[in-house]
Amino acid sequence: MIKQEKIDSFIAKIPPSPKALQETISALNAGELPKAARAAKEDLALSSYLKDLVNKPIYGFRTKIEDVSQIFGILGASRSQQTVYSYMMSLLSPNEWKLFNLTKSTFHDLQAELSVGWNSIIKHLDITDKEIESAIALLPASIIVSEALFNEKIDDVELLRSVHDIDLNTILKRLCSKDLFDICEQIAQKWEMDEKISQIIQSASGVKPSADLDINKLGKWMHLLLFFTLSKPAYIEAGLNDFITFNTEYVQDVYEDFMNVMEIQ
Amino acid sequence: MRATVKDAIAVFHPQGFLDGNTSSAFLSIDDIEATIKLNVDMVLVSLKNVIFFNRNGLDAFIKLFHKVRSANHIVVGFCDYDHKKYETIMKFYKDEVMFSLFKTQEHATLFSSSFKNKSKNILLYSDDKSQRAAMAIELHDNGHNPIVAQTRKEFEEKSKSQNSYDLIIEDTFLGQMGQKVATRVTGNAIIYTVSSFLDAEIGNTFNIVYHNNSLNVGFRLFIFDAYKVVSMNVHALNFFSKLSSAAAEYNATICFVGMTFEKTPLTFKETLEDSGILFFEQMDDILGDKDLLKELGASSAAVIKNKRTLNKKIVTEIPNFIEATVATIEMMTNSQAVKEAVKMNEIAIAETENKIASSIGFYGDIDGMVILVFPEGIAKTACELLIGEKTDDKELILDTLAELVNIVGGKVKTLLSDAGINVDITLPRTYPNIESLFEVAKGKKGVQVDLNFDNDKFLFFLTR
Repeated sequence: MIKQEKIDSFIAKIPPSPKALQETISALNAGELPKAARAAKEDLALSSYLKDLVNKPIYGFRTKIEDVSQIFGILGASRSQQTVYSYMMSLLSPNEWKLFNLTKSTFHDLQAELSVGWNSIIKHLDITDKEIESAIALLPASIIVSEALFNEKIDDVELLRSVHDIDLNTILKRLCSKDLFDICEQIAQKWEMDEKISQIIQSASGVKPSADLDINKLGKWMHLLLFFTLSKPAYIEAGLNDFITFNTEYVQDVYEDFMNVMEIQ
Repeated sequence: MRATVKDAIAVFHPQGFLDGNTSSAFLSIDDIEATIKLNVDMVLVSLKNVIFFNRNGLDAFIKLFHKVRSANHIVVGFCDYDHKKYETIMKFYKDEVMFSLFKTQEHATLFSSSFKNKSKNILLYSDDKSQRAAMAIELHDNGHNPIVAQTRKEFEEKSKSQNSYDLIIEDTFLGQMGQKVATRVTGNAIIYTVSSFLDAEIGNTFNIVYHNNSLNVGFRLFIFDAYKVVSMNVHALNFFSKLSSAAAEYNATICFVGMTFEKTPLTFKETLEDSGILFFEQMDDILGDKDLLKELGASSAAVIKNKRTLNKKIVTEIPNFIEATVATIEMMTNSQAVKEAVKMNEIAIAETENKIASSIGFYGDIDGMVILVFPEGIAKTACELLIGEKTDDKELILDTLAELVNIVGGKVKTLLSDAGINVDITLPRTYPNIESLFEVAKGKKGVQVDLNFDNDKFLFFLTR
């Protein structure tokens, strides 16, 4: 159904991050927001993405924010980096979704919801690490990879799942000895993202707990946040609710805290 | 969201948070329609991967339960929950629990009539006396040995010696159980379970299409397990008389086992006997008697009259059947198939050692049967995708093979439907060796295609 060559060809097709982006990220890393904004403005698609994203209702800004320097100023260096990474991820998303019933706009909504949720969690955990903050940007890559690998095999996947409760991650792992999150890690490497980001994403898969307790805890929060988000009607209808398996036992010890952070009664 | 179907039990697997906003998104109108059309004995919703739910969140599924129950008279409910979730559901619905609650899917199968895990020693307890009795009766009827604890204290004491029981059941609730006529296959006999009062309703609850198809694919012995029947009225009498006359055209026999005539006029028995129905007191009187089985047409030596041959309509569709099979095995083994030979004749298997087989029937615009013969190696590799590890457990392999053949059947159905031909598929049947396959397939003419998967020979046979 899916062979290693298909994964290799998918990875090979991922373009290196554009120069303007590299400059933006390195300026954000150095905390030079004006320089970062200047670099970001060079890339029109990036500026447009940033404006579109931060003006989504979930970000809760009262007035429309038009200027990239203003966006970076409001978000601060860490969240700006996270947002730029989200933009890079959106470059990988297909023009037309087939496996999942998504559009460019609903995918951006998903990115925004995960991002806002993650920021609340980071705040609650009192974490100020820029890489940890950015890690959430890589999570939707698992969805993009699923779409890219399985979109020509929709009938096969449906038939398989009509007789057996099996998720896309397990199917891929059993066919190719490599799962969606391993491929996310390869993407992160290609884009020279910090290693910590890949580690968090791997443990957020719910099937690969990290030996590093701090990373593992973040993985649990992220796994729970993912399924909190994928329980929303738009994403259930998009067919995302069961693309991977939700490991309820894994997240048990952060569940109460999570409900408080998300203000769920 | 669609249900996964295995052993005639359909299970939905929602994940995450279920509340009023989300739960209706899980079930579109099409999903509900598709569930009603499934030919299953149970529809369950697994709460295993649900971390939060409120009453509104469960309501969409309860609506589905109502629709499925009133259309199909089958068992509906939730499964895979812990004690806390069980208590919560009971609190939400208090006296209006019309659905069932099974702690695990395995527990649910004990209450279905698939007879898959017969003769289990089961310790059970419920605070509700009538629930205890209902569970014990159902389990006993399904071939198990229930041990009922009368008090919580007794239950706790008995559960300590866990090794004495195959399973321990608590936090389980039986809602209205299904009244559908359940079907199971034993060897070459088909057993239908009927219960309580047999009246005009039997025409709705008996799956006549399945029955006719079973006649078509060569089953010759049909047994009605009637131990639980209280009485029969004249409408049911007419129904069974007609069924028997129709079966006679195929030289098939219909038997009733365990039927008492305490509340049914004895003249009914005579009428039924006149129409060709045989009566037995015990199931073993038939199934344990090889000579009788032979005589009744359910043994290997049975000569099937009116041999059916492939017709032009099916032959035209052969490429679709082969494509569905090859594509499925390729998908499951991640390998490529090479077609070696196509011939039209009786099934011929050069090497019969270390092979297992499976068959699935289809009926509708066209009808027939696909037989697949696997070298054990291919079967194991193909099943690995579903099981997740290498295994030598033959029962597990056969069980998984049935799922695989179901996938082939599903694919055939889709491909034929694209060609404007509508068919339904039967439950798959597996054969642990070639001898048992020959009991059914020997003498049948059909199209045989030999395929080569990574130097392993695989055989496809299409017949009627």
